[in-house]
Amino acid sequence: MTKRSENAQKVVDNFRKKITRQAALSMSICAHCGMCTDSCHYYLATGDPKLAPAYKADKVRKLFKKHVDYNPLGKIAPGWIGAKDIVSDEDLDELKDVVFGTCTMCRRCTISCPLGVDKALLIRTGRAMITEAGLAPQGIQDVSKDQWTVGNQMGVSDEDYTETIDWLNEELQDELDDPNVEMPIDLPNPDFVYVVNPREVKYDPRPLIAAAKIMTVAGARWTLSSAGWDNTNFGLFSGDNALGGHMGKLVFENVQRLNAPKLVISECGHGFRATKWESPNWAKAQLDKPIDFEIESFLETMLRWVRTGRIKLDPTRNPAPVTYHDPCNLGRSSGITEEPRELLKAACQDYREMYPNRADNFCCTGGGGAMSMAEYAKRRIESAKPKADQLREADAKTVATACHNCIDGLSDLIKHYELGMKVQTVGELVAEAIMVEHRIWPDGKPRTGSAGEGKKVLVVDDEQDMVTHLSALLEDNGFEVIATTDPTAVMDLVKKEQPDLITLDIKMPVKDGNELYAELRGDDATRATPVVIISGVDPKELPELDLRKYVYEHELPKPEGFVDKPVDPEQLMLALRKVLELQKRAEA
Amino acid sequence: MSEAFVSVLTHEVQYAALAFMALVYTVRIIWILKFTAPAESTPARGSHSAGISHAMMNIAMPWQLESYRRKPLRYVEFVVFHVAVAVAIAASIIRPETDITLGAHSSLWNDYPIIGLVCAGICAAAVVAGVLRLIRRISRPEMRIISSPDDYFSMILLNCWLAAGVFGLQAAAPVWATVAFFVLTTFFLVYVPFSKISHYLYYPFNKWYIGKHLGHRGVYPKGMAVVGGIDDGTDCATAVVQEESKANA
Repeated sequence: MTKRSENAQKVVDNFRKKITRQAALSMSICAHCGMCTDSCHYYLATGDPKLAPAYKADKVRKLFKKHVDYNPLGKIAPGWIGAKDIVSDEDLDELKDVVFGTCTMCRRCTISCPLGVDKALLIRTGRAMITEAGLAPQGIQDVSKDQWTVGNQMGVSDEDYTETIDWLNEELQDELDDPNVEMPIDLPNPDFVYVVNPREVKYDPRPLIAAAKIMTVAGARWTLSSAGWDNTNFGLFSGDNALGGHMGKLVFENVQRLNAPKLVISECGHGFRATKWESPNWAKAQLDKPIDFEIESFLETMLRWVRTGRIKLDPTRNPAPVTYHDPCNLGRSSGITEEPRELLKAACQDYREMYPNRADNFCCTGGGGAMSMAEYAKRRIESAKPKADQLREADAKTVATACHNCIDGLSDLIKHYELGMKVQTVGELVAEAIMVEHRIWPDGKPRTGSAGEGKKVLVVDDEQDMVTHLSALLEDNGFEVIATTDPTAVMDLVKKEQPDLITLDIKMPVKDGNELYAELRGDDATRATPVVIISGVDPKELPELDLRKYVYEHELPKPEGFVDKPVDPEQLMLALRKVLELQKRAEA
Repeated sequence: MSEAFVSVLTHEVQYAALAFMALVYTVRIIWILKFTAPAESTPARGSHSAGISHAMMNIAMPWQLESYRRKPLRYVEFVVFHVAVAVAIAASIIRPETDITLGAHSSLWNDYPIIGLVCAGICAAAVVAGVLRLIRRISRPEMRIISSPDDYFSMILLNCWLAAGVFGLQAAAPVWATVAFFVLTTFFLVYVPFSKISHYLYYPFNKWYIGKHLGHRGVYPKGMAVVGGIDDGTDCATAVVQEESKANA
């Protein structure tokens, strides 16, 4: 009997305990009918019979037949039924090459199999054996190590994470033209915790900024977590359920720490599958507290907001043709196929389907950890031809997807096959189309624009046209407006209505704005109400109405804001927002 | 060949072979159930029962399986071949009990020769399909590379058995044909549990698990995607959206 190498012995020793009933059935049932062959992009691109799914799955199945299967022929006449042992390190290298380098575990062959053989499960079982023997590809090992030791797959330190979020806040503020908006970290009792793919923090923050923009406009009370923020899970790719459980536990415990009723997962295919479906199983035994919150994809969150009118989209902002690539882990393993389509149809003017689609879609070629294994990059790109042909036929300018591996995989193949398309997340396109003017603030009241905090504003101006103009502008931005053209009625109105802010004209008959301002500041009941002066008075022409001089002479506090006539709406909103924010901070 | 030999072959030997097959299958089912079956601990997005039903039945819905959707003739082959196997197995059990020439008390098989003719016709069609399948397995590199000796042998065995059925299942079948059919049936019943032909034994189990798994996640029933977790402001509603999947032939 041939003596096994040390590593081969390890693999054989561990094999039996890796086999679940589902795996045993998929090992046993294959009739080698070959119907899966044409479903694999590796085979379709090359015609290499060694890339047929059944052949690849057989690499693991042979070991099953030899060591696990009840069939005595596996021992007596292994060659007869295709049973084969693993003896040498070369055998292991061959197995490793097949399970890591020729399959993205996309499950397209599983869905096509008349017998329902889950070949991806067999490949993952093979990966688990290789990983346990310490022989996984270096890229997979490195990323797994970072997840074990740092808690995220890109080794982002706590400091880098918070600094990056700080920097992204500035981007978000520019995007929303709101200096006060920021991505909260560790906000207690939020509506939900949002977890991301570290790629969004380290390399490409656009999806995160887009998501933050959408969540802000929707008025969501959300938060990032300072720990357990990585939704990805290399345990899914390496077959290491312990790592899978570890990453799941990190995320789940931080959701519970923040007392959130919901966990929302950013647009990451495997991140969603792992966190939503697999990690709860892997981490079950490790969790001190059972999972007591909902888990959903950001696609579902966005669609709910669109359907309920919480966010409004203008598809004319995305006029170019857009198609959608179904990530395998969403379309074939999580049933999420319609949400992105409905979103894209709402956010884009020219949505067009690619074929085949949904559960039958071709893999992006970047899944299953393929992007982390540089040694297989050439084969990966070569295998992308069916996907490239499919994209070309869709004839779109943008391919939207909801997965970071897909973004990288598609970007690579688009460049290689010169398709002239760009790749964006669904959220990025939604963020492009979102109507920021319909922003909702955290208390749930719709106050569009960045100034409308649902506060009550008293507009004081003797000109009816100006009152009408200002009232419309403020109401459009979510303010409740009361107005008067009679300056003598102001004090009573303020006491009765108790507005949060007053806009005050200066040049008015009977009682000018300066006099009225002094009255407001002199009365205990009205002293604290902020005032924004809206005036077209030029002190050189009307020195008697010079507010600066009047304030100085009467030892009055300065008004909280000043806006020139004719009124620039943006300038007015900026002034109001600033005044209200400062008042809020002062009150706090 | 004596009538007694034929009678023993078509009765006692068949029963013994069937009993052996049933015994091995029972052992096999007990064996498979010894593997742990990890349960889903997450709330379902879709329906287990709908997923299981879909998985069990999608074999009868070739449009649901891209593999058959793109190759309809393969599906015809598949149906003909598997129907013939079922017919031949059924006939191997029914005929000995209804053919007076095999010592049965009933003469149904003799009185209605059309039954035997239909069975023989189905077997003949299946032989054509089986030969095509065998040729494909031999000639195509992607089929050769996944084929073990058992794959070839099982295919040849089935073709021979079905060919024997063409002659041996007719009411007026010559004795040699009847004997050939039942000898091959005996071998078939004994060999099947150790060959790839036993895939049908696992079919309901595997389809149960894959259907439950994909039904849980809302992937199955395919073409009836569940838009999960979408509420309209009142409660959590689910919308069923017809998939507009289209073949990319």
